[in-house]
Amino acid sequence: MMHIAVCVCLVPDTASVFGFSDGTLDRSRITEVINPYDEYALEAALQLKERFGGGEVTVFSHAPRSGSEALRKTLAMGADRVVIAEGEGSDSWQTASILAHTLTSWYSAALPEVILCGRQSTDFGSAEVPGMLAERLGLPSVCAVSSLEGGEDGVFRLEREIEGGAEVLEVSVPVVISAEKGLNVPRKTSMRGVMEGRKKPVEIVEGSPVECARVGLGALLPVSNKKNCHFASDARALAGMLHERGLLQ
Amino acid sequence: MSNNTHGAEGQGCSRRLIVLEQREGVLKSTSVDLWHRMQMQCKGAGLSAVLLGPVDKENPSLQLSGPGVIHHACDERLRRYDPRLYRRIIGELFEEGGFSELLFADTALSRDLAPALSVRLGASLLSRCSALPEAGRCHRRLYSGAAEGTFVASSPRAIVTVSPSSILLQPATEFLPDILPLAVPAAAHDDLPSIVRQVVRREGMVDVAEAGVVVAGGRGMGSAEGFALLEELASLFGGAVGASRTVVDEGWRPHGEQIGQTGKSIAPRLYIACGISGAVQHLSGISGAGTVVAINRDSHAPIFEVADFGLVGDVGEVLPEFVAALKEFLKMQ
Repeated sequence: MMHIAVCVCLVPDTASVFGFSDGTLDRSRITEVINPYDEYALEAALQLKERFGGGEVTVFSHAPRSGSEALRKTLAMGADRVVIAEGEGSDSWQTASILAHTLTSWYSAALPEVILCGRQSTDFGSAEVPGMLAERLGLPSVCAVSSLEGGEDGVFRLEREIEGGAEVLEVSVPVVISAEKGLNVPRKTSMRGVMEGRKKPVEIVEGSPVECARVGLGALLPVSNKKNCHFASDARALAGMLHERGLLQ
Repeated sequence: MSNNTHGAEGQGCSRRLIVLEQREGVLKSTSVDLWHRMQMQCKGAGLSAVLLGPVDKENPSLQLSGPGVIHHACDERLRRYDPRLYRRIIGELFEEGGFSELLFADTALSRDLAPALSVRLGASLLSRCSALPEAGRCHRRLYSGAAEGTFVASSPRAIVTVSPSSILLQPATEFLPDILPLAVPAAAHDDLPSIVRQVVRREGMVDVAEAGVVVAGGRGMGSAEGFALLEELASLFGGAVGASRTVVDEGWRPHGEQIGQTGKSIAPRLYIACGISGAVQHLSGISGAGTVVAINRDSHAPIFEVADFGLVGDVGEVLPEFVAALKEFLKMQ
C-alpha cells in the first residue's frame, strides 16, 4: 500500500483583523485555518491515492491539540487520519525537527513514498520547513512544484516555476515535495465528507525531543505602507508627472 | 566615505561567502546586486563568492566590481541546477574556507537550496531578509505585510537570503575580483534521486520578480485581451507584465505573473497597477516597490492609499491615452 504523508500547519485566516500588542499578534480576533498552500499539497495527495487506486493519506501537523477542530477539514476533504505532533517550537528548525521525528517514529518500517507540504505558510512565509524536513530525513526534495505527473514506476516528473520559465525535473521516491499554487484546485468539502471526517481518527503524539531554536524573533512592529497619493487630472498629466520625476527611463 | 559605521561588519566580511547564481549561462542580476550591496557594506574589504556553472557572454569578473575572489566551478554539469551537486560543492567550500555566513539573493534556486543547506551546516536560516543583515539581524514582513519581524541568528553559522531591492547600486570602484577555479567532485552523479531534465524558457518578457518596471492588471482589465495594452505599456520600459490573483484565477494570465501573497513579491523601481483595487494580499507583494502608480475607476480603491501617483478613470479609456503620452515623453529623452 502506498503511504502518503501531508504536512499541514494552521495560520491566521487572511480575512482576520491583524492587531498587534506588546510586540505579538493579538490572537483574540484571529480565526485559524489550514494554510492555503497545504490544501494544494493535500489535494495532490488525494489525487495520487485515487490515481494509484489506494493508499493511505496521513496528515501531520505541528500544532497544539486545540488545533484538532481546524485540522478536521483535512479529514472532510478525504485524508484518512490526522496526527498532531505536540511540542515546543517557534522556528522552522524546531518544526522540521519535530515533524522529522514524528514521521520517523510513525512510519517505523519505511518512510512514506511521498511527503507533501505547502510551499510556504501564509503567516511567516519563510518557505523553510519542507527543505529542512527532507534533509533531516535524508530524502531529496523539490520545492514549489506546479505540476506532478507519473509515479507509477517510482519516478515522478515535476515542474517548478523559476524566474522567467520552468524547470522540468525527475525525482525518485521517497521524496519531499512542496506544492505551489496552480498544482491543482483543492476540492470543496461536502456535507457527507464532513460527516465521514468526524469518524476518522485524530491522534496526538507528544514527547518529541526539543532542539534549540536557531532563529530568534524580536518584537513585531505593525507597519503601514500608506503614502500620500498625487492625483493626476488625466492620462497625459499622469505621464507628465512621471516624466518630471525622471521615472521614464 | 564614512569609515566607522560598519566597522564590526567590515571585520566579519572575510567570513561571509556570497553565492552567485547563473541560469542558462547568464549571471543573475539579483546576484550582481547582492555582490555590490556587500561591497558597499564591507567598504573595500575583499569579498568571497562562489559561482557554479559556466557564464557564456561575459567574464563574470567584468560584471562585478570591487575587490575579492570568486570561486568559479566552470563545469557544464553545473549549467542546470543540480540540487545534490550544488549542495555538496557549496557546503564543502563553506566548511573548508572557515566561513560563518552564506548569502544568497532570494530566488527560486535559493528557496530550494538554502533550507537543506542550513540543516547540513547546522546554520541558522534567515530567509527573505528585506536588506543585508546588520549586526546579525534581519527584517521581514509577516502576516500579509501587516507587521515587520526582526530575526536574529542564534547559531555561530548563518545562511541569509536577501530579497531584491528597488534601488539598484552602481558599481563604485575600479577593482575587479579575481577568479579562482573550483574543482567539481567526480562521480557525484551516481545514485542521483532528483535531476533537472529540461529548462523551459518563457519567451519575450522579463520575469515579474526581476523586472525594474512592472505593469500589472487586475479585474478592471475586463478580459485576457485587455492585457495587450499592458504588454505594450511594459515594453516601453523593457519591463514585465504582472497580474492580480483574480486575473490568474480567471485564467487570463499564468500564475508565474501573479503578484501578492500567493504569488510573487516584487521590488521594481516603478510599479504601475491598472484596474487593481489593492486587496491586502496584493499589497503584501508590492511592499518592496519604489514608486507606485495606480489607475482605477474607483477613487476609494485601497491601491490609492499606497500609491505615489494616481489617476481615477476606466483603464479601457485612459490607458491608450497614457501609452500615447508616455511614448511622446520617451521620444523627447
